[in-house]
Amino acid sequence: MSLQIQSNYNQELNKWDLKLEGEIDLFTASKLKAKIEEAYEINQSNIELDLTDLNYIDSTGLGVMIGAYGKMKENNKSIILLNPKDNIKKLLSITNLDKVLCP
Amino acid sequence: MSDILKLSVPGKPEYVGMVRLAISSLANHAGFDIEAIEDIKVAVSEACTNVVCHGQVGFCSSYEVDCEIGNNKLIISIIDQAGGYDINNYKEPNIDCPKQGGLGVFIIKALMDEVIICSDIGTGTSIKMVKYCK
Repeated sequence: MSLQIQSNYNQELNKWDLKLEGEIDLFTASKLKAKIEEAYEINQSNIELDLTDLNYIDSTGLGVMIGAYGKMKENNKSIILLNPKDNIKKLLSITNLDKVLCP
Repeated sequence: MSDILKLSVPGKPEYVGMVRLAISSLANHAGFDIEAIEDIKVAVSEACTNVVCHGQVGFCSSYEVDCEIGNNKLIISIIDQAGGYDINNYKEPNIDCPKQGGLGVFIIKALMDEVIICSDIGTGTSIKMVKYCK
């Protein structure tokens, strides 16, 4: 019941790659928020979140992503989610967030 | 006759994951398939998050998760004494204009077969959720 985040800046494509592993809930969402804000402060670039090894997310985690999406959109930057598992895909679809976060 | 389990949980974020695990195990034991177990797990977790997030600080020291394993159904109630809120003020999120809050109840209603929310301002809130085993 923890969350690991590996962040890497791709110089060639000018984007952040964040690889998330574990679970995002009320307890761990603040860690994601801090990591996204930290990355964006260093380099105001697009962010790609790789969800291959993310097993669980709840509305708190989705809220962090929506918050980042709104903030980055103001600067014409995007945050996108890659490879969500089926259970996470279902939540993204219910909330219609797949339309903005998984283009 | 149905089996009843009751958990009393401290109103702290670190215990929501534990409730999630316990509920998954219970739903599995009750014969639900993987997708339904996931639905129940998410819904219960969202309900617990609501209590822990919105409960008045220092007021809700713990809340209760009551589970009833019935004939082909699982009934789960999350009951708190966190002061309640005006449920008429709840607005469904506008899916064309995503915002950070308000998704929890929306997700619970989408994933469970029946959801009844009762809130008494000054007392507390209960969310009763039912999932049928198909």
